[in-house]
Amino acid sequence: YMGDEEEEGRGAYVCEEKKDGTIHGSTYYLTQRSFMPCEDLLYGRMSFKGFNPEIEKLMIQMNSRCKEEIEVDDKMEADVSDEEMARRYETLVGTIGKKFLRKRDQRVLQDEDEDGNSNTRPSKKAKKKFLKPQD
Amino acid sequence: RDWREGAVGRGPRGSRPRSAACVGQVVLPGDVLLLPAHPDEDGERLRLGAGAAPRGRLLCGPGLRRCGVGLLVTKCGLLRHRRAGGAAAGGAYWVDSQQKRYVPVKGDHVIGIVTAKAGDVFKLDVGGSEQASLSYLAFEGATKRNRPNVQVGDLVYGQFLVANKDMEPEMVCIDSSGRSSGMGIIGQDGFLFKVSLGLIRKLLAPKCEIIQELSQLYPFELVLGMNGRIWVKAKTVQQTLIIVNILEACEYMTAEQRKQALSL
Repeated sequence: YMGDEEEEGRGAYVCEEKKDGTIHGSTYYLTQRSFMPCEDLLYGRMSFKGFNPEIEKLMIQMNSRCKEEIEVDDKMEADVSDEEMARRYETLVGTIGKKFLRKRDQRVLQDEDEDGNSNTRPSKKAKKKFLKPQD
Repeated sequence: RDWREGAVGRGPRGSRPRSAACVGQVVLPGDVLLLPAHPDEDGERLRLGAGAAPRGRLLCGPGLRRCGVGLLVTKCGLLRHRRAGGAAAGGAYWVDSQQKRYVPVKGDHVIGIVTAKAGDVFKLDVGGSEQASLSYLAFEGATKRNRPNVQVGDLVYGQFLVANKDMEPEMVCIDSSGRSSGMGIIGQDGFLFKVSLGLIRKLLAPKCEIIQELSQLYPFELVLGMNGRIWVKAKTVQQTLIIVNILEACEYMTAEQRKQALSL
């Protein structure tokens, strides 16, 4: 039939068909039978005004890939706010740190706690108080 | 306006100046197009464009073929050119021609109609000279035990894996990473009709006015296959038929006529 663009039997060089449909006959020309790379056509499935939300998401994804404007949405919504995270971490470091102290250091820590009564107690109490999850 | 908008009237061949660039003009099969920097011995050939030779690889699109000194035209139509950048590094030339009959091309997304189930393979009618085959494993999440629910008469949107003149065309409904990305069985209801291939390309061009104007009307879903088939689905039958009529007629309407039709 007419329109046969494939190069065949050209004695001078070997033709190989590559994966993307281009035929590499010489170092200079690439023969392509499809219109897609020439005209930068859009993706064939379309949906408008929210008729099919999945297709609309797909439209944005596919067409942005073509135009090389990939919007990378890396921000994930945080379950715990930053402040609460900082507070928890502050108390957490102390308690876990104690776990790894050697026995002598633990004794010293206990003596220190017992010595400073009035000043340290309220803060100690604040430290030891169990924080309930606020859900 | 038909697809040959802006076609310039041509005089007889001999009267055209030899160095005129023929991008955007009508070319006929048998014309040899020379690259800009190539010497022109007998003055019979047509030049592609004045200027320095393009750097890098040159993409020969549909309708063009490589020949001794340049490119040989194999289809009649308008010669188009795209400058370097993006997919066509070094520039692309192709012939914008019009036809109604589709020839399967690898990588094209098409709408096929299931005509038969032969064991593990479905036979699809894509409008070409042969029926395409589609394996039941070529769907997302399909395994030997978990077969897709495809019946005779269903519409399938897929792409060609193999399409050349020596073999039967083969289709798949997944891409190279194994995801369906929108391909597969097209759902219930809707309306399928056929248009010419040039209109499909016009509709799929970025920033197509027809699609933008239609999208303001009411919510609907549209699937365009490169084989000339369009599937439309809207909320009511009447809305679907309105969209179908506009898409069929818009090939030969001017912009004003189209706006008039849409405002009614």
